[in-house]
Amino acid sequence: MPLSAKLKTLVSDERIDKARQQLKTAIDSGLDRHVRLAVTGLSQSGKTVFITALVHQLLHSHDTQALPFFSVANEQRILGVRNAPPMGTANPPFPYAQALQRLEAEPSAWPPSTDRLSEIRLAIRYEPQGRLHRLISETSTFYLDIIDYPGEWLLDLPLLSQSYADWCRQNHQLFAQGIRAELSQTWLAKLKAVDLNAPADLQVIEGLSEQYTALLHLFRDPSNALSLIQPGRFVMPGDLAGSALLQFFPLPHLPDYPAERFQQAPEGSYLRVLEQRFNDYKEQVVYRFYKDHFSRFDRQLVLVDCLKTLNNGRQCFEDMQRAISEILHSFNYGKSGLLRRLFNPRIDKVLFACSKADHVTANQHHNLEKFLGLIIDHARREMRFEGVETHCMALAAFRATEAAEAVVDGQKLSCLKGYRKGSHEPVALFPGEVPIELPTEQDWHEDRFRFIDFAPPRITLRQGKPSSHIRLDQALEYLLGDKFA
Amino acid sequence: MTDKQRWQQPVFLDPAQLQGGEPKVAEEEPPQRPREIPLNAVHSVAAAETQEAVAPVQRARLSAGRGSKWRKRFALSVGALLSLGVGVELYRLLRWGFDTHWSLGYGFAALLLVVFGSGALWLRHSLQGLRQLKQSADFRQEATTLLRERGHGQAAAYLARLTRHYQHTPVAGALKEAISEVDTAYNDGEIIQFVSGHAFKAQDEAAYRIVTRYSVESAVLVGVSPYATFDMLLVGWRNLRLLNEIAGLYGVVPGVSVQWHLLKQILHNMAFAGITEITFDAGESLLGGTLTSSVSARVGQGLGAGLITARIGLQAMQACRPMPFNKHQQPGLQAIQQRLLDELKRIGGRTA
Repeated sequence: MPLSAKLKTLVSDERIDKARQQLKTAIDSGLDRHVRLAVTGLSQSGKTVFITALVHQLLHSHDTQALPFFSVANEQRILGVRNAPPMGTANPPFPYAQALQRLEAEPSAWPPSTDRLSEIRLAIRYEPQGRLHRLISETSTFYLDIIDYPGEWLLDLPLLSQSYADWCRQNHQLFAQGIRAELSQTWLAKLKAVDLNAPADLQVIEGLSEQYTALLHLFRDPSNALSLIQPGRFVMPGDLAGSALLQFFPLPHLPDYPAERFQQAPEGSYLRVLEQRFNDYKEQVVYRFYKDHFSRFDRQLVLVDCLKTLNNGRQCFEDMQRAISEILHSFNYGKSGLLRRLFNPRIDKVLFACSKADHVTANQHHNLEKFLGLIIDHARREMRFEGVETHCMALAAFRATEAAEAVVDGQKLSCLKGYRKGSHEPVALFPGEVPIELPTEQDWHEDRFRFIDFAPPRITLRQGKPSSHIRLDQALEYLLGDKFA
Repeated sequence: MTDKQRWQQPVFLDPAQLQGGEPKVAEEEPPQRPREIPLNAVHSVAAAETQEAVAPVQRARLSAGRGSKWRKRFALSVGALLSLGVGVELYRLLRWGFDTHWSLGYGFAALLLVVFGSGALWLRHSLQGLRQLKQSADFRQEATTLLRERGHGQAAAYLARLTRHYQHTPVAGALKEAISEVDTAYNDGEIIQFVSGHAFKAQDEAAYRIVTRYSVESAVLVGVSPYATFDMLLVGWRNLRLLNEIAGLYGVVPGVSVQWHLLKQILHNMAFAGITEITFDAGESLLGGTLTSSVSARVGQGLGAGLITARIGLQAMQACRPMPFNKHQQPGLQAIQQRLLDELKRIGGRTA
């Protein structure tokens, strides 16, 4: 009896298949033909749209003109691409077809905000070298894994390196000023009324954590547009909605947070219960999320919505800057050799992308990239220290506007033409100039920027043309180009 | 005795009294306000129309006259002397012809006319090729500048001039098509990269094929022949023909002056290219020692001759192109080297 059949009688079929799959994945990873791409970004930064656009372009890349800067596609070395979901994984597939349907519908709409984890794997068959350079034809297959998840969950990752005391201290700083201080007056008052060393009343904890969740929703609302919302699962619970794991909150009102205070609190007191719940949350929710999905990435794309900060002011800018720095701490960076790729892969190339570049005129793209550099400055410096290649780019996954010109006040002005989001009425506007230095207080308040949201374009009209996106091909070339050489 | 103070005491100054220092920047115009524009006042644009053709940029005079002025004077005076001598002799010949018989005289006159006429036309023809090469070099320089500065909007004028330059050459159609496909969102550098990759693709492929063919022929000629020295001279002559063919492909009128100019430029590049060229050309297999153990010395000579031809051909491609190659589209020597090795092994295996 052949070995595999004998093994199958001893161990269940699924396990064999899974083991074989894992072995194949490991070999491919070692041989550099399998890349796990991390598409990172806060909520509403355009991750789902980007993944949809990427998959759409790659699936049509064997005979497209739309990717001139992606050298494999440009040299027509791609033979075919297909969706190749790995067997034996628990992750639901990325809802590509649904997203595309919404974009192609009449009237078109952007895909909804992601509320659960999903995964997609593409198998790309290509010729390793051009036709001029070899006598026999040979093909290779390259696997690309992309994971989509709610951006809110990303902000839980920094919690892994913090204790409850640290987290409370951080929140103390955050709640001390700005919008948070204003909006959290009532909640803080209620919190101050509770004696933390008294035996915990679970009802009170539940009530307070519900109010804290409502507060987080308020911070996140577009009128306040704050980004550092922790814990992320509170605002996007997924399948943990209503669970006791999500019932705790920080204590920003204490004057100081020495470790002894938390250790010496009596058993069953509020302090102890909250700390215990925090640690449970960290272990059961965040650590598992991290271990299953985040520790094995090879390349990373960080999407940042710069226009939101320009529309919303200085507090939003600083908050986003802090949120992004915190998130990027949690990824494994550094050079990735052969063995490391098998056992502990590390991210060796990061692309920082400003999404929605089609909402500004083309001559502002360079300014947009510079402005993005301001936001990620701190994080990028640390990555450079680890020897990771970084690059900034302004891109748009689906181009929703057209370039146009108008003569205003005797001056030629380049502007944008598109359809307004929601109402779908045609609109033309000059959205303002993107600053390359941090704007002063006065600039934030004046009516200097007006970046509006546009409705999605008619995909079928521009399919296969370079005008269906902005710089998606350059992003692909930077992230994956060297794997196809 | 106290030294006379040679250093300036620190002094407080009034900032309002300062002069000079930072250059006075003209008041920056306040940034444009965002505004909505009525739809009928707006019209869409394609990429290449965003700017009218601007007058060509004044090219900076880069190099002053090379060599001393005495060299020029010497050359001019020698030239004048020689032409004077030749002219006097021809005049005497003509006189003699007319004295002997009028038909002989007219025959000589006609012959002289033809000689001078065709000589002048040939000279003009070859100078045209030189002029085109110089213009190619200028275009390349400008393209490199545009690639480096990440500006927006200057490439349209450059492309208009390029189209005019290549109007009646085989490149015209592909160039026009590539320009029409340029995206409105590209900045200057991306436009240059896009046009460089798409407009000259056919030419690049054809030129690469020609270079490969000539390299293989050179390698085989030198590697197999019994009179290697003679054949190396032959290879040298064939390299000049290679230069003509490649120049013709890129729309440069081929001619002797073009050949010599290109050859001079290429030898200069190869001699002073530096480390990058060496690593580009060396090839790990050569240095690895497997070559010397498996093939004979003659075949090694043939490989060397073939590689020289290949390098000359690739440099000629770069010199005739109006835009530099994109990073990953640069034609590689490795593939040609592999091909040469295969051919030489095949032939060497047969005759050895």
